[in-house]
Amino acid sequence: MSAETRSGSPVEPTRPADVLQGPESQGESREGADLSARGGGRPGRGGRSAGGARSGGLLSDLRAVRAILPLLDVSRRRALVAVAWGSLTLSAAVGLAAVSAWLIARASQMPHVLDLTVAVVTVRALGISRGLFRYLDRLASHDVALRGVATLRERLYRTLAVGRPEATLGLRRGDLLSRIGADADAVGDVVVRGLLPAAVAAVVSTGSVILVGAFSPAIGAVLALTLLIAGVLGPVLAARAARVAEVDAMEHRRDVSVATTTILDGATELRVQGGMPRARTALAEAESGLRGARDRAAGPAALAHGIGVLTSGIATVAALVIGIPAMTAGTLTPVELAVVVLTPMAAFEATAALPAAAVQVTRSASAARRIRALLHAAGPERCPESSPRVRSKRQNAATHDAKVLARGLACGWPGHTVVSGIDLQLEPGRAVVLLGPSGSGKTTTALTLAGLIEPIGGKLEIRGGRTPTDAVSFTPEDAHLFSTTVLENLRVARGDVDVEEAHRVLERVGLNGLVAALPEGLDTLVSAETLSGGERRRLLLARALCSPAPLLILDEPTEHLDADTALALQQDILTLGRERGILLITHDERGIDAADEVLRLDESARLDR
Amino acid sequence: MKPFDPRLLTRARAARGYMLLTAGLTVATTACVLATAVLLARSLAPVIDGDATWADVAPAVAAVAGLVVLRAVLAAATERFAHRSATRVIAELRAQALNHAATLGPRWLARHGSEVRTTLTRGLDDLEPYFVRYLPQLLLAAILTPAVLILMATLDLTAAVTVVALLPVIPVFMWLIGVVTQTFARRRLEESERLGAQLLDLLAGLPTLQAFGRALGPAERVRSLAQASRRSTMATLRVAFASSAVLELFASLIVAAVAVGVGLRLVTGSVSLEAGLAVLILAPEALLPIRQVGAHFHASADGIAAAERVHAVLDTEPPPDGTGHAPETVHAIRWNAVTVGADDRAYAAPRDLTGRAVAGQVTGLTGPNGAGKSTAMLTLVGALTPDEGEVLVEAPDGVTSVASLSPEQWWQQVAWVPQRPVIEPGTVADYLGVTRPADDSRLAEAASATGWSEVIASLPQGWQTRIGQGGWGLSLGQRQRLALTRALLAPAPVLALDEPTAHLDGLAQEHLIEVLRRAATAGRVVVVVAHRPELIEACDAVIAVRAGERVA
Repeated sequence: MSAETRSGSPVEPTRPADVLQGPESQGESREGADLSARGGGRPGRGGRSAGGARSGGLLSDLRAVRAILPLLDVSRRRALVAVAWGSLTLSAAVGLAAVSAWLIARASQMPHVLDLTVAVVTVRALGISRGLFRYLDRLASHDVALRGVATLRERLYRTLAVGRPEATLGLRRGDLLSRIGADADAVGDVVVRGLLPAAVAAVVSTGSVILVGAFSPAIGAVLALTLLIAGVLGPVLAARAARVAEVDAMEHRRDVSVATTTILDGATELRVQGGMPRARTALAEAESGLRGARDRAAGPAALAHGIGVLTSGIATVAALVIGIPAMTAGTLTPVELAVVVLTPMAAFEATAALPAAAVQVTRSASAARRIRALLHAAGPERCPESSPRVRSKRQNAATHDAKVLARGLACGWPGHTVVSGIDLQLEPGRAVVLLGPSGSGKTTTALTLAGLIEPIGGKLEIRGGRTPTDAVSFTPEDAHLFSTTVLENLRVARGDVDVEEAHRVLERVGLNGLVAALPEGLDTLVSAETLSGGERRRLLLARALCSPAPLLILDEPTEHLDADTALALQQDILTLGRERGILLITHDERGIDAADEVLRLDESARLDR
Repeated sequence: MKPFDPRLLTRARAARGYMLLTAGLTVATTACVLATAVLLARSLAPVIDGDATWADVAPAVAAVAGLVVLRAVLAAATERFAHRSATRVIAELRAQALNHAATLGPRWLARHGSEVRTTLTRGLDDLEPYFVRYLPQLLLAAILTPAVLILMATLDLTAAVTVVALLPVIPVFMWLIGVVTQTFARRRLEESERLGAQLLDLLAGLPTLQAFGRALGPAERVRSLAQASRRSTMATLRVAFASSAVLELFASLIVAAVAVGVGLRLVTGSVSLEAGLAVLILAPEALLPIRQVGAHFHASADGIAAAERVHAVLDTEPPPDGTGHAPETVHAIRWNAVTVGADDRAYAAPRDLTGRAVAGQVTGLTGPNGAGKSTAMLTLVGALTPDEGEVLVEAPDGVTSVASLSPEQWWQQVAWVPQRPVIEPGTVADYLGVTRPADDSRLAEAASATGWSEVIASLPQGWQTRIGQGGWGLSLGQRQRLALTRALLAPAPVLALDEPTAHLDGLAQEHLIEVLRRAATAGRVVVVVAHRPELIEACDAVIAVRAGERVA
């Protein structure tokens, strides 16, 4: 929880150091860097997404939504069909009102019943069709949106998969991760609840105005005006309310979330040590901030709702005021008067959906911005071969050719050199240990040597495959254990690991006992939560050994293990694969006697032999 | 799923005021709707009949205009109040659930903690649409619809009978919606959660996959998962929408039936045009709340579900607390064959733990990862009651079991620092409970022993720096140093420290060990979870903690 509570969670990672800082990862290690970076205490909301979300109104939100729509690859035909069904649904409602009014006004003139037959049948037909159209409308619109979301998900994955690793490293944060899922859904919601209803409202409003205007242009004009007010002012107010409630309240919401998490995670400790009252006070303060923002939002939301009711009433009253004298004057028949007075009420059903639509646009706009920011961070496809500093020989080299050669290498992030002057040679059969205290830049160095981030200076040559990952396999401290079977987790490293090989590798890392104890052996579903820390580490090590890459880089493989386990594992690692090249990155000086070479990074982050 | 859970009223004060005021507003809205329909018909009918001109009906039209404004104001007021109440009800429920969850003990929290967190931080927000959209419509359906039907009956009995005869069909379908969507909503939720979790798992593993150069491998899997998710959602929507479509269908069929009926009776002259028009205007008004209830049912179902989860938390009985008087002097702590079963596996950690920590000595709990050392600490603290065996407190006036002691009193006697201490928000001085930190020599000694003095020097406002939520961020190591400082300051006779030297370098570790030894010499019971050899070395006594198969 350390990083989360410290930085207050869902903040866009802006600095590489932020990105690198996983939730559970480096407890103590980053404290120096962290304190200096935090300066004033509360972290600023970073990234390109934040600025846009605060400023601008409904229009800028609409632009943000429009910008992401191409990624959904929505079929124009399907969208048109959905709009058509929606329009037919509401047209049926408007038609039902108009024809009923005609029917009753005409009937009061006591014509022959046969004169009413067509109207009677029409009323019944419209009554039935409305429900039917509504069903088809909802299915069609949800289908459009869900297809879009599925496409978006896949694109997101593909872009991140080939993108810069810095972008995906941030995914280790649980909140960021689940947000991606929720954001994709939010973009789908805007199609169903925002864009399609807006299109339907435009079609139906226009139709109603034409219908009423055909009888009385003046009433038609008033209807057009009131519909416009209801369809523009209402949504603008509703969107403003939503923005206050959601964007402005975000910080308070986060505080509430942190306070809640603090109490839940620390419940026992807070009770035992008497800290609960102060934790509750903190929650109450956060709630009061949230309440303030929510209450500010309630005003415009209420106004938006009132405007909807008011405009529809005004249209009816105006129809009476204009229509009655017009009938007396003879420009409108009695039956037509009934139609122009009673139809407008139904027409407002179309605009009634718009405030909610605007709210959805506002909500989804932040999601759309975040997705674009993430895609932007991932950048265009990465071509390791084109890197000016990493030379990787384009060849299907045999294992013994693999080599990582660093000369005067400097590692870091753009504008910030973390480590410099690294001379290192890693090749099969060699075990090298990179030793350094926490926070000395070991992880950055590892990422660079694995070819996952660009060197800042010096020379780095990674030989032995088409891409650096063919030659070097990097297992970070907090490598992901997939929620799948033991065997499938090993196959992440290489697709064709068979059962026999799996058992062999697991035995080498001392996990044969565990597998024997698991109910379904290799086919048991595992996850980071169901394994102990030591088991997880060993399984990750086994996976690294399954990798076809001849060179392995292991970052702090013994972190969080008890001393004996750590010592044994560290010794094991260095003697494990003599046919491989192993770079062990650790802060623990014990158990590294078997190394061929030990490099030390000291506190000042310069390499020192 | 109940449309309204009375427990909401008993548990959230804000909900009571809300229901009262909204009911009042609904009655006013109902009066407004009835009057508008009657006046609208009264101003229109004589004109259509040719009996009146603008001058005759102008007052009625003016009244309609006034009612329109009034209705808009009522609508706005209902909405505003609903928003405000929702915020307050959510906050009330959250606070109650948190307070209660905290008393349910570490075992319950370990099992339900993350689910409760999701409910309290995100799930409860779904109550807002429930309060803003669903409940007002439910009240309208309960108040306005019957009122409209009564008025209709006085105007045109046949029309009213038509509506009353067809209306029960809607509740029947409402019930059907309830039954069908509940089953399907759950299945859909499970299905999409499963698919979603798989997708997120792949995303979470992207850096790992990239490191193996296999990131594009699962792209096809992502695609099929996304498509499967879409298909499963559509399948459930087809059913969910079908039932609500039937609701819409009947609502509009009833309006159509009323219109046709009134029209045909007008031809025979059995109904006046004024009554007919009023009925025509009223019929959709009577059905609108029912349609709205149906339309917002899905949006509010999540809120109801979240509230139900909160009720479930609140209805969980906390483990019984002991009531015994806790001794203020402790000679020793004794674990007597203590076994605590792990939840999901068939073994216990610790299993059969027996040992004694005596005042005047530093006692170490040792053992490999997962042996149950931290759990043993929890049993000492009294936060967790062992499944078998007991933890005993030896005091001058006898031996008592920790489980039988009043927790509040016992916690006064124990200073405990877990592996990952939580720092409640406030200033450093608040946290440590000191008023004059600058010239407190015991504080200076404790802080230098834990290495906290180095940290405090780097904080912008020193002892007055706000820490925890919304304040200065502390790393895990810093948090542990701070918590240790507080524990050393506490006058408690028992010190329980989980890996106190984990984040300290060699020199600092020596320093802390010395302070622990001094605390022991002063007559305290000092228990530490020890991993590092130096710390184990420094212990006067060591208790080995072991996990093992649980004997059934």
